[in-house]
Amino acid sequence: MSNKKILIVDDDPDIRLGMQVRLRANDYDPFFAGDAVSALIAAEKHKPDLVVLDLGLPGDDGFVVMQRFKQTPTVADIPIIVVSARDVRMAQARAIEAGAKAFLGKPFDDVELLALIRATTGEPARSGKIFSA
Amino acid sequence: MKANALQVLVVEDNEGDVRLLREMLSCERPGEFELTHLSRLDEAEAHLAKGGTDIILLDMGLPDGSGMDTVRRTHAAASGVPIIVLTGLDDEASAAEAMREGAQDYVIKGQIESRALPRALRHAIERFHMLGESDRMRSRQMQLKDEFFSHVSHELRSPLTVIRQFVSILADGLAGDLNPEQAQYLEVILRNVRQLQSMVNDLFEVTGIGAGKLRIELESASVSEAVAHTVNSLQGAAKAKGITLSSDMRSDLPAVYADPMRLRQALVILVDNAVKFTPANGTVKIHARVLGEDANRIVLEVSDSGCGITPEMSEKIFERLFQAQDPNAAGRSGLGLGLYICKELVTRQGGQIRVESAPGQGAVFSITLPVFSLRNLLAPAFGKKGHAQSPFTLVVTEMGSPVGWRSCEMRAEQRRTIGQLLQSCLYYDSDVLLPNMDITGQEDLFFIAATTDQVGGEAICKRIRENLDEHIHQARLTLSTSYRVLNTIKPRTSEPLEEFRENMAAEIQAAMQQESSLRMVKSEQ
Repeated sequence: MSNKKILIVDDDPDIRLGMQVRLRANDYDPFFAGDAVSALIAAEKHKPDLVVLDLGLPGDDGFVVMQRFKQTPTVADIPIIVVSARDVRMAQARAIEAGAKAFLGKPFDDVELLALIRATTGEPARSGKIFSA
Repeated sequence: MKANALQVLVVEDNEGDVRLLREMLSCERPGEFELTHLSRLDEAEAHLAKGGTDIILLDMGLPDGSGMDTVRRTHAAASGVPIIVLTGLDDEASAAEAMREGAQDYVIKGQIESRALPRALRHAIERFHMLGESDRMRSRQMQLKDEFFSHVSHELRSPLTVIRQFVSILADGLAGDLNPEQAQYLEVILRNVRQLQSMVNDLFEVTGIGAGKLRIELESASVSEAVAHTVNSLQGAAKAKGITLSSDMRSDLPAVYADPMRLRQALVILVDNAVKFTPANGTVKIHARVLGEDANRIVLEVSDSGCGITPEMSEKIFERLFQAQDPNAAGRSGLGLGLYICKELVTRQGGQIRVESAPGQGAVFSITLPVFSLRNLLAPAFGKKGHAQSPFTLVVTEMGSPVGWRSCEMRAEQRRTIGQLLQSCLYYDSDVLLPNMDITGQEDLFFIAATTDQVGGEAICKRIRENLDEHIHQARLTLSTSYRVLNTIKPRTSEPLEEFRENMAAEIQAAMQQESSLRMVKSEQ
């Protein structure tokens, strides 16, 4: 099975590095974008299996990114997980409404992130922890 | 109207007094004041509604109003305009009361010096504007403070995320093997990061409370679920301290009328607190029971074998930023927000919270909440006997998601939105949208409205479908509506209203249970 490609959209280089280490260790193939424009370009070019998207980005925010993805046929169907430090109760519903598959609040547990990624890409759970949506 | 002239409204029914006032105001500099005279309160209210008045001279005895009522009504008609009350010689007491009701000043008729009146008017206006300005500044400052805290807690989350991420990367050995000592130290870091995280969340919650953003949605909430959740999430922390955490309650405890999420949150705060203040090898116990003296209330007690608190402390313990000062307690005490948040959560759900303790004897925190009662909820529908004459209709609305609900939160959000939409389909005060009666494990959302609407179930179902159509389409949900008309139990002439309500509620409860079990069977198939 080929490694799944995951696009991480986050303007914080530390978070990008952390995700890179964690995802590579779990046999994913992560690549990165730091803002809305490069996110769309990177997605069109590399066709990821999944996007992990931060809401607070320089310039256009994560909601705009989701809107652009939905309007671009080549990437419209790629599932998106939103990760944000904003208030869960406020941001979550809006993110899901905008088309995100799942929402994860910052700070998150890597176990949760991996479980969400697996659930969203339709892989069976590998660890003992069973994800239930 | 002259430009720059201060517009003075005199509300006074004594022509002589008006003449006197007019002379006093014109003798200084002509054109500084422009006087409008009205002798009735309703005329004054109409005049004030047009705006443009700078100050009001108000007599407290008018043909259509007297005493404090005149002040209240005038203040209500123009809260942005200062009022000076005109009183009689022997009436300074009521003048003082008038000032508490919002008047700026008072002058005693017959004792006014002509020079003093213009000055009194100017001062009242000036003072009034200064007061308004300081009020605005205070509320602006409060708002800035809340915005600041909200911003701070948001900004703190990003570095916390990174720390947590990299500590767990190290702890999981992704950057090389660890010796046991290193693993232990990383565990310490992780524990502290979690602590910091919960403080940041508290900060966020508090700014929400301050800004009135705390969302509470009351429904039928299971006490045993809340207790089980709390024990589950804090068992680890208790074990780490060698504390025995247990719960004790009857399995047939009735549900409470509360917000399930907020109830869990409040209980977690209390138990977390108890664990924090109980020394190693102590006990923390959650006990839930029906209140002895009032069967309509349930009390949840969290008792600990900790250091206990003094009576003086128990008065202040729920205040914002209160810190327990225990010389024997090692370590940190936190932000002092937990119990304040807990109290806000409980009181905004219509409950009470209190603490009983003596130093050295542990503490018992108790939350009291009303038992969920369909009868009370339906009270408005049965408020008048007349309502009982028309048949009762139960309208069932079922919402499904063909692609599945993406998360529990998403489902809850839909429940809220649809609930609001359904509410707008009910036109009469006596129509009730029954609260969440979700049956565990059931996939579809389902709502029941109890209505006495004369148009009948068919028409209401149609109305619901029309009102929800757009949302259903957008959210890609499926909708089905059905209704059943309940046999009306006609109140016997001898039957007390109270008893009738009881019977009707029982009837509806039975019908709902029937609906629920029908759905259970359907979802199992």
